Amino acid sequence: MPQILIVDDEPLIRMLLEQTLEELEDEGVEIITAENGEEALSIIRDKNPQLVFLDIMMPKMNGFEVCNKVKNELKIEGIYIVMLTAKGQEFDIDKGKCVGADIYMTKPFDPDAIVAKAREVLGL
Amino acid sequence: MSTINLKRLLSKKKLIPLIKNIASLYKEGVTIRASDGTLIFEAGEGARPVEYPLTLGDETLGVVCGGEKTAEIIDLLNYIISSEYEKKTLAKETLDKYKEITLLSDLGERITACLNKRQVAELIIEEIRKAIKFDGISVMYLNRDTGMLQILASSNQAYFSIALGAGIAGSVASKGKGEIVNDVSSDPRFIPGPNPMSSIMCVPLKINDRVIGVINVHSVLPHVYSAKSLKLLATIAAPAAIAIENARLYEDMRETFLATIQTLAATIEKRDTYTTGHTERVSDYSLAIGKSIGLTDSQLDKLKLASILHDIGKIGVKDTILLKKGKLTDEEFAEMKKHAEYGHEILSPIAQLKEILDGVKFHHERYDGKGYPDGLKGDEISMEARIIAIADSYDAMTSDRPYRKGLTTEKAKEELARCSGTQFDPEIVEIFLKNSAHKGRQG
Repeated sequence: MPQILIVDDEPLIRMLLEQTLEELEDEGVEIITAENGEEALSIIRDKNPQLVFLDIMMPKMNGFEVCNKVKNELKIEGIYIVMLTAKGQEFDIDKGKCVGADIYMTKPFDPDAIVAKAREVLGL
Repeated sequence: MSTINLKRLLSKKKLIPLIKNIASLYKEGVTIRASDGTLIFEAGEGARPVEYPLTLGDETLGVVCGGEKTAEIIDLLNYIISSEYEKKTLAKETLDKYKEITLLSDLGERITACLNKRQVAELIIEEIRKAIKFDGISVMYLNRDTGMLQILASSNQAYFSIALGAGIAGSVASKGKGEIVNDVSSDPRFIPGPNPMSSIMCVPLKINDRVIGVINVHSVLPHVYSAKSLKLLATIAAPAAIAIENARLYEDMRETFLATIQTLAATIEKRDTYTTGHTERVSDYSLAIGKSIGLTDSQLDKLKLASILHDIGKIGVKDTILLKKGKLTDEEFAEMKKHAEYGHEILSPIAQLKEILDGVKFHHERYDGKGYPDGLKGDEISMEARIIAIADSYDAMTSDRPYRKGLTTEKAKEELARCSGTQFDPEIVEIFLKNSAHKGRQG
């Protein structure tokens, strides 16, 4: 069963992303949410979601750290990570490459782009 | 189709373990089924004689089968269901608002870069396309002088200019309020055109309550547009109006600026009537050369200004010298030559003209370095100056003077060719000659 993990400290963003991806739930995709980096890592280790939308600016453990841990330290395979960055903040492309991010998207996110990317990654 | 999937709801909220616990407290068996019969959950032992429906408004989402005590948790479950439904509705509305924000954010970014009304209109059409379904769209600008709404950009030929007050668009423009007409055949104002349309949405573009235009969208199907779609269109219309007005102000300012420059140049011609038309011709020739060289629009702009103002310095030359009928003495010629520097001095306080100063000062420099005022050579001379030098000389040669008649085009071209490499930039001369071979004598 394909799974998508949404990681963002802002409840509004979690809700909006969940609502945006709702149509995929009807196609059998499970959507899981996490409020912070630690929770995200625990869910990733546990359930191994295929797609993760990962916010960068989070307290305690930011998105880069989570991505680094997953891709470089734990070396988890088959997981596509989309980093979410706030508009107006230059996304550090080099840093992104370093930690193994697959792609980044700016917030406010384009709902159609999010669904399209999810379909692409999950093959739906 | 129920908007709430009961199974998903119960499993998500980790309710199933909770219900299990409660059921075990009551020591009753509980079965929960969805309305289509799928089993969601089953626990405990015992008979389940009573059926309790789980409802949302008029809809039954599922049923709980259990004993009598199970009744206690039904209210709770129903409450959770309606609460979830509310949350879902809010989430949907928030997402819609979010999409609006994204749209405006994108629009805002792209639109501020545009200083051309038509470009802005085309951009607006592109952005609206992402958010609203239509078969045709147009952005119209109100020309207050003629009272006509003119098309700035549109997706097809269905739209045509319309007078203020006429048709639905004209009506919206005069009333200043957006409208949906979901069946145009029943609206007496509708003016049919070459393409079929059934539903129309029209919103005004306003700056401080003053209408400057409208946006129209239409569909060939009836009853397509809702209050929500009108609101979205109106939301886009606000920044669109600002951007179009901005472009208009910029265009007006540019026009005023250019007209002022040309007036300035005309002052010289009033004093020395033999040079009437000279500035305009030099400017035309210079631009023709510039275009054949392949200069960019911004470079052509600079060239145009420099060529219009190239002789402005003559205002500092005494009439006795400037208007002298015969040949000038060496002293008089030395004074006349100063017009190049005077031009530079006159224009240098104007910050916006900084880039054309070289074109004005050096239009009498020679390619071989024997020109004035500074004796610059070859590429040291700015490109505008090298172009204007040729255009200026060409016009001087082909014009009549009090002491000699003008040369014919052929003779003038021969002279340019002869002085190519010495007085004039050889590459530019070559291009000028090649190009004017296609045209006859101008003016």
